[in-house]
Amino acid sequence: MRQVIFLFIVGAFVSTLIGIALYYMMRARRASKNAWQILLGRLRQIDREKFAEVALDLLDDQPEEHSHLEPDRIFEMIGGMNGLDALEENCDVLIDLATYVQRWYPDALQISEELRLNAREIKWHIGRLRGASATGHLREQFPVYAQRAVATYYLMTRSLLVLYEGVKLPEFAELQQAL
Amino acid sequence: MHLSSLDNLFWALSFFGHCILLGVLLIRGRASAFPVFTTLISVNIVRTIVLFFTLRYGSKGEYFYTYWTLAFVDMALQLALSYELATHVFQPLGAWAPDVRRSFLALVATSVVLAVGLAWLAAPPTKTLRLAIMIRGDLFTSALMSEIFVAMVALSVTLGLPWRTHVARLAQGMGVYSVYGIVTDAAHTFFPGNSAYRTLSQMQIGLYIVCLGYWVVTLAMEEPAPRKLPAELHEELRALQERAALVLRGLRTTESAS
Repeated sequence: MRQVIFLFIVGAFVSTLIGIALYYMMRARRASKNAWQILLGRLRQIDREKFAEVALDLLDDQPEEHSHLEPDRIFEMIGGMNGLDALEENCDVLIDLATYVQRWYPDALQISEELRLNAREIKWHIGRLRGASATGHLREQFPVYAQRAVATYYLMTRSLLVLYEGVKLPEFAELQQAL
Repeated sequence: MHLSSLDNLFWALSFFGHCILLGVLLIRGRASAFPVFTTLISVNIVRTIVLFFTLRYGSKGEYFYTYWTLAFVDMALQLALSYELATHVFQPLGAWAPDVRRSFLALVATSVVLAVGLAWLAAPPTKTLRLAIMIRGDLFTSALMSEIFVAMVALSVTLGLPWRTHVARLAQGMGVYSVYGIVTDAAHTFFPGNSAYRTLSQMQIGLYIVCLGYWVVTLAMEEPAPRKLPAELHEELRALQERAALVLRGLRTTESAS
């Protein structure tokens, strides 16, 4: 009986291993075939101009780093938590867009890695805001956290545009429009 | 132990295959990029010679202990090889990202647990404890190596890390060989002395010789040279990253103050 169970487990084990390997290899191949269109298609719509305005309100004012925008205005311009949800998802796309360049320029890995670390931190803070939303403190905390998250996201998009323009990728124009 | 002419042919092919591969690694300068793999191939050459003479001139017991001592070294080197390949894939710029290293080590730990579980479940109908340990040990190694290579593929695709040509070819060979090894080693638990196991085992050696040929050809060829990002672009990107770091630092300060 134990032998039969063992046979079944080995069969399932080997099939699972092969299945996982094939799945990821096909995913990598599919991604490389239609990568560009799939990547851009994953970007969620955000009001880019308003996001840029919120970001530049903070970034243009360094080193003071004070906002001129009213908290309620920031909330409205970003679109509340919905806007941050979209930003969070777009962070992953930005990382993949940097990874896309690695096919031709392996040392673009450094920028992918930096974007990944930025994205991780942004997501952590958005997570905190979700917590605040659940306890009814969203309005107090939103402007400070959200504006900095948007500013970081904005800088991530600038890094990508600099990268694509710098290596003269033909996709640059399309990316500029999308971001 | 009686060896058929096919066994002798495999032995000779494996020996010369290893010698040619070692020559390619040294002459084409791949040994510095893959020191563990080079050591593994060198150890396999020594292993073939030592086992050949032990079989001819030694006792059955001496052959057993020599075989298993060298098999243990082989297993340790295979594990080290998986780490070597992982460092090529996951730290192409010379340093592991902290969370990538954690994820990889977590996957390795899970793989060890699964491989131990599989080896424990095996119930080889052997008369001696030595043979039972041998069969379970083989199964453990094959399962562990296969899991690690599949985990590496999954993690690298998830992170979007590309595989350089030589690393990918080495991993492909080791992965295919290890997965097939699970089938052979599992078959060993059902029919330890059976001709079916012998056939499967010979197919495994044949597969390994094909892998050797594959490595010889792919390692002899040059990888496509990667393009480099212009230096001024690095500067510009660094400036943007520093600004992002500053904003995030502000966020952290706010966080700790609240």
